[in-house]
Amino acid sequence: MIEIADLSKRYGRHLAVDKISFEVARGEIVGFLGPNGAGKTTTLRMLTGFLPPTSGAARIAGHDIFRESLEVRKRIGYMPENVPLYTEMRVKEYLRFRGGLRGMGGSHLRKRLGEVLDLCGLTDVRRKMIKTLSKGYRQRVGLADALIHEPDLLILDEPTNGLDPNQIRAIRRLIQNLGEKHTILLSTHILSEVEMTCNKVVIIDGGRIKAADTPENLVNSMRRAGRITVELQAPISIAEPLLNSIDVVTKVNSQSLQDGWNRFTVFVAPNTDTRLKLSNLAIENRWPLRALSRGTGTLEEVFVELTRKD
Amino acid sequence: MRIFRILFFKELKTYFLTPFGWLIMAFAALMQGFVLSTTLEAFENESQNESLVHVTFNSPLFWFYFLILFPVLTMRLFSEESRSGTLEGLLTAPVRTWQVVLSKYFAAYVCFVILWIPVFIHFKLFTIITDIPPPFAPGELYGAMTIIMLMGALFTAFGCLASVMTSSQIIAGVVCIGILLVHFFLGLVTEQYGDTIAAAPVFNFVSCQNHLQAFSRGLLDTRPFAYYLATTSFVLLLTHHLLDFRRWKP
Repeated sequence: MIEIADLSKRYGRHLAVDKISFEVARGEIVGFLGPNGAGKTTTLRMLTGFLPPTSGAARIAGHDIFRESLEVRKRIGYMPENVPLYTEMRVKEYLRFRGGLRGMGGSHLRKRLGEVLDLCGLTDVRRKMIKTLSKGYRQRVGLADALIHEPDLLILDEPTNGLDPNQIRAIRRLIQNLGEKHTILLSTHILSEVEMTCNKVVIIDGGRIKAADTPENLVNSMRRAGRITVELQAPISIAEPLLNSIDVVTKVNSQSLQDGWNRFTVFVAPNTDTRLKLSNLAIENRWPLRALSRGTGTLEEVFVELTRKD
Repeated sequence: MRIFRILFFKELKTYFLTPFGWLIMAFAALMQGFVLSTTLEAFENESQNESLVHVTFNSPLFWFYFLILFPVLTMRLFSEESRSGTLEGLLTAPVRTWQVVLSKYFAAYVCFVILWIPVFIHFKLFTIITDIPPPFAPGELYGAMTIIMLMGALFTAFGCLASVMTSSQIIAGVVCIGILLVHFFLGLVTEQYGDTIAAAPVFNFVSCQNHLQAFSRGLLDTRPFAYYLATTSFVLLLTHHLLDFRRWKP
């Protein structure tokens, strides 16, 4: 659905996006993560044709974003950051206007208007002026605007920014439902949201892609997940070489505890689980074992690990 | 064409479904009436060599309010959208840039044309109320209206250009009035330096004061038509490219 190849954007001397490449397949919900100023919004603006890339190329549904901008824009529904709306228009009037710009009209537009008002929970406020609406409702109007022409691809720039927890849940549920029919690329820095809704994550920092994978794989491949703590009643001099001899183990730290037990911190390669081997080792050598645990990471820790400045 | 129509009516609605358009109309009607009544007073006090239409439209007071109309009408058009961010939504919808530019331009221009309906009524009322033959020929009124429409076309385009350059309405308004004043004073150069200077034909050619004088005598000249329409197209082209620039600047 989206193919990005070496896309860069330079603002004067500042390189905002530096040769990023990734792909989004049809039907995926992709979370686009990064700290503030990482280049998320710039990337999304390039994809929607609002800003041209300095170099590189991207295709959406097979159309080049630069040369066939109009074709691309027909196929996407874009909700910009902070959801700018014509505040002096009424909700239904605004959505009818935006539908018209997408070439809709007549009974088709009328039908879709009813559907998106219903879907986004706007039916009660459809005659209100947008300037009288709360932030949560404006966000929903923006989403309805992006959805009205049933686009193949939805691009949402921080869809839950500034909402209260209930509203965030409602929007999240809406995005999950939409994911059944649409491909979605959403940028955010709220990680719990990504863990719950997305089946792929792209992490960007300083204009470069740091990781692109499923949330589970990212969590499993992080440093903490490769650290196992074992507490044994075994002499350090014997146990340490034995632990080191396991093939995936890269390093072992030992520490004697006050009560006669020893704690071993075993570093193993990412994406492996060595706990069974360790317990078998303890059984074979008849070492009493009282603790065996693997560091569990969260996406938040992955994010911090990848984007930390130090 | 459908998208142009949708954009055009949306713009026109923002003029007339908000107090904004009505305030401008009230201001214009008030000033038009004020200029006409001071002219009538002048007619009462001493005899005039020119017709009522000619004197009305060639007073300094006329230029004063006429030039103010354009920044007020146009400063909001693009700058407000780029300030509030709605330009992003507009330009990422499948619309062409020329549709955006022309729809905004024509909405402002139509609004400008509507402002001149009261003038017609004023001059018609003169005959109805006083029951004496009007002190002007119909051709003079139509001529004056024609040149005002032509000048309006160009000056509205200047306003669009000023508005697309900035995201601040105030700056857009100031730039617009600046362009209009420079254009206005170009026409006065020959009054200052005489018709003998080498560039005098150029200054006379672009002089809106000269155009208005000729047309409000009922003298139709094709040169101003060419000047205003060609320059309007050029300024709109510039506006289009400035707006489109964000799409292809490296």
